Amino acid sequence: MIEMKDVSKIYENGAVALEHVNVEISKGEFVFIVGASGAGKSTFIRLLFREVLPSDGTLVVNGFDVVGMDHGDVPYLRRGLGVIFQDFRLLPDKTVFENVAFAMQVIEAPRRRIQHSVNAVLDIVGLRDKYKCFPSQLSGGEQQRVAIARAIVNNPALVIADEPTGNLDPETSWEIMDIFKRINGSGTTIVMATHDKHIVDTMKRRVIAIEDGHIVRDEAQGVYGYEV
Amino acid sequence: MKFSTIEYVIREVFFSFRRNSWMAIASVSTVAVSLFVFGMFLVIVMNMNKMIDTLESQVEISVYLEDSVAQAQIGRVEEKIASMQGIAEVRFIDRDTALARFRERLGEQQFLLDALGEKNPLPNGFEVRVHRPDMVKTAAAAIGQIEGVEVVKYGQDVVEHLFDITRLIRIFGVALMFLLAGATLFIISNTIRLTVIARRKEIAIMKYVGATDWFIRWPFLLEGVFLGCIGGLVAAAVLWGAYGMITAKVYETLAFFPLIPAHPFLLYILLVILVCGVLIGALGSTISLKRFLKA
Repeated sequence: MIEMKDVSKIYENGAVALEHVNVEISKGEFVFIVGASGAGKSTFIRLLFREVLPSDGTLVVNGFDVVGMDHGDVPYLRRGLGVIFQDFRLLPDKTVFENVAFAMQVIEAPRRRIQHSVNAVLDIVGLRDKYKCFPSQLSGGEQQRVAIARAIVNNPALVIADEPTGNLDPETSWEIMDIFKRINGSGTTIVMATHDKHIVDTMKRRVIAIEDGHIVRDEAQGVYGYEV
Repeated sequence: MKFSTIEYVIREVFFSFRRNSWMAIASVSTVAVSLFVFGMFLVIVMNMNKMIDTLESQVEISVYLEDSVAQAQIGRVEEKIASMQGIAEVRFIDRDTALARFRERLGEQQFLLDALGEKNPLPNGFEVRVHRPDMVKTAAAAIGQIEGVEVVKYGQDVVEHLFDITRLIRIFGVALMFLLAGATLFIISNTIRLTVIARRKEIAIMKYVGATDWFIRWPFLLEGVFLGCIGGLVAAAVLWGAYGMITAKVYETLAFFPLIPAHPFLLYILLVILVCGVLIGALGSTISLKRFLKA
């Protein structure tokens, strides 16, 4: 699903975010990317959906050669991915239903399929009865569930989440993690950057730890770390 | 493009107009003013060209003979000219008639000629008319080759003068048009940029979920085209009215003045204006979107 070979990322201002990183993530895995702020976590995540390009190395995501691909093919890479952010990034003047449907509209899906798929994913995240609400009428956890629904409505092979529980209280965070577990259970690969030690330690999934732009640990059933 | 997408694009354009109605009005006005001036210059330049054509067609060719040409030879020269292609009429003007005409033209300043005494400085000559205006130049050149002909004139001074004026207007017009086009582009791209900024979150999300650049671009492009198109329509309407008024006034007072009739000439100008409006609108929105679509 993801093949990162000798990838480095140096930003234009000279900041080195990642250096000679090698990672392979297979289909169906659930992977935590952990590390302190500024360690390179976010860059790692952003490389996956080509928001930034590697300065060096090769990167293949879901069969797309991220480095060598044409600008015009980027939308097709992203259609196979679902991206979730810490700040939800919902459209405030659109309802829950419209926010999720938006992801299908912009890839020109037929209207009937939109109706059907949006209802289905709202069921998965448990927000079917709030489909008419606007984001401002929802709690943070509910907003993140809408964002998740939007991310998975096009059946992506890979879900990428950047600190999805960063703005949520512990209990709500677990609701989100339950949804992720279910999505992963249906075969979707999940890569999640987090610094929530409790979640990582309890889930017992693969953990990739990044420090100063290097991968310092990659364990199949890892924990967050020792010195947090 | 799918039908649902077309519906989406039109809805977005409509919303954007409502959100930024003042900016939209400002852009439409700028486009309208610029295109009106542009159309005005087109009309003026084309009318000048037409005037030059008319003048050229009306001018006679004046042929002046060398003084050494004897009376007997004059008839031969006349025959030669008359036998040339495209000549409608050849009229002999002897030097006395020429002087009398000159005196008449001077009017109150006739006394100037008194200084000459009994001497007549004017040569014998012909007045020649041709069938078609485009023959004037060639005919004049051919006549100039005939033995005994000293000078051939056909009002090229007036024509060249008009050419100079037209050229000046053209240069001035083109410079002004570039300036106006720049201003219009700036205003339109700014208007679109307001829309883009108001919707940059949406654009970012569209990109995350895999919308193509063209899908994102369409509503903005259409918005720009609409702004340009409406501005063009306003300019066209005003120009139409203005030209009608001017032609009416001119025909009233200067009946001989050769203005181009509004129909169908003005239709072409209006079409050009409309197309320019659309192009400027499209270009303006493309400029303002470029930065947002790069990443």
